[in-house]
Amino acid sequence: MGVVVKKVELGWLDRTYVWPVMKGMSITFQHFIRNLFTSTAKRYTIQYPEMKKEIPAGYRGLHELKRFEDGAIKCVACFMCQEACPARCISIEAEEFSDLNITQGFEEKRPARFSIDMLRCIYCGMCEEACPKDAIWLRNDYEVAAYDRLSMKFGKWDLMNTYAEADGKDRISQDTTPTVPRRTIVM
Amino acid sequence: MDKLASLLHMTPAIFWMVVKVVIVFSAVMLLASVWTWVERRGSAMIQDRIGPNRAAIFGKIRIIGLAQLLADGIKFFFKEDLVPEEANKGLFWLAPFLAFVPALIGFAVIPFGKDFTSGGVTYHLSVLDPGNGMGLLYPLAIGGMAVYGVLLAAWSSNNKWSILGGMRASAAMVSYEIGMSLAVVTIFMTTGGYDPAEVIKAQGHLPWAWNIVHQPFGFIVFFTCMFAETNRLPFDFAEGESEIVAGFNTEYGSMKFSLLALAEYSHLMTASALVATLYFGGWQVPFVQNPAVMLSVASFLLKMLFFAWVFVWIRWTLPRFRYDQLMHLGWKVMLPLSMANLVFHAWRMSQGH
Repeated sequence: MGVVVKKVELGWLDRTYVWPVMKGMSITFQHFIRNLFTSTAKRYTIQYPEMKKEIPAGYRGLHELKRFEDGAIKCVACFMCQEACPARCISIEAEEFSDLNITQGFEEKRPARFSIDMLRCIYCGMCEEACPKDAIWLRNDYEVAAYDRLSMKFGKWDLMNTYAEADGKDRISQDTTPTVPRRTIVM
Repeated sequence: MDKLASLLHMTPAIFWMVVKVVIVFSAVMLLASVWTWVERRGSAMIQDRIGPNRAAIFGKIRIIGLAQLLADGIKFFFKEDLVPEEANKGLFWLAPFLAFVPALIGFAVIPFGKDFTSGGVTYHLSVLDPGNGMGLLYPLAIGGMAVYGVLLAAWSSNNKWSILGGMRASAAMVSYEIGMSLAVVTIFMTTGGYDPAEVIKAQGHLPWAWNIVHQPFGFIVFFTCMFAETNRLPFDFAEGESEIVAGFNTEYGSMKFSLLALAEYSHLMTASALVATLYFGGWQVPFVQNPAVMLSVASFLLKMLFFAWVFVWIRWTLPRFRYDQLMHLGWKVMLPLSMANLVFHAWRMSQGH
């Protein structure tokens, strides 16, 4: 397929080469002056450690295991996320917990261990979609880095406390087992 | 000054010479190294970037990126000084100096301020006093020497990319030298002498009497040729990442590379000083008949730094030339133009202007 290339006819002024050079120089000088009188904070570059990009809604970053108001984990260890995970980075060990001191008694399931290997995770968000209890969320935080492989293995408490203080909740490190069945609290 | 000289067991003349040498060359070297910063920050601003602003002294004092110079210097000092196995070792060591020294000493004849009289002795503000018999032929000759630095660096590396870059660069430098010299000869002719002091005196203090007004084409030719002479964009044929790796300094590292880089910037400083002297009245202050010494020095510095900035400015505006375009421009445009300029001014002088 032939394409007709239009030849640009240069005028005598353009063919002197001096005038186009001066035009180009005026353009670059305009850029120079404009940048000289804008503070670095207002230029296009986002200077990373001091300035951070505004994360769009729905961004998939670091995981969080959500908690109830009383601090107990929402996760019921149903293994849906582990099954859904394409990278197979989630591993869960379930346990039962109960409070039989109450007359009626109740037994529920919760994860004894819940770990995500952040080095394998591809941040696809499938776990979030699979979760029936809305217990695992992907947050906006994208700065997941560490000095060794082991510390990139996030356990249950790491995931429950990811940036917890920003939520206004206290950091927790042990199960606050509810003394009454969960459903009475929710209702 | 005499007392200080006798304390150092020197005659006042020699002492004054030493002071001048130290001040001028340290100032040029300092400006050259500062200009690497200007180049980087200036190019960043032209391209809507930020440029180097992270390096800090003690992790605190950033001084708008000037600490980068220090960091670069320290880094270059502590880099391994590698010499290729097959290189011509002697020439490999010599080449950076051969590139650096001519770039620097070209500055020696250029007057950077008005001469003054103190205690019955006239002090000239140029390293070599006027009337030394070399005049402006000296920087031209020294500029020719600069080819050796580039070519030797390329040849001794024993690297095909280096030699390609070196050959291209030396060809460009040699072919542009002719046009440049003819442009300068025109100035010698209209001035009636080739001493820089005479050239400046002949131009006077009025901006419309400067050579830029009388010989605009000479200026264009000279300035263009200076880009080829200093091996800077748009004529930087010594280097070329896309074609010949890093060109003539591919094999260089550590302080030797630093010297080659500094040579380029000192050459730039000398070239802009030459432009200021030849076409913009040197140290003359516009509309001031008899300026104070400091004012004349400031005026010269301002002119020189402006042209040094234009070198940077043009580098980040224009794309590179192709090699054949460069040769075409050099031989078929610049040479005839400067020749025509020469003939025109010769004719004009014969008519008694």
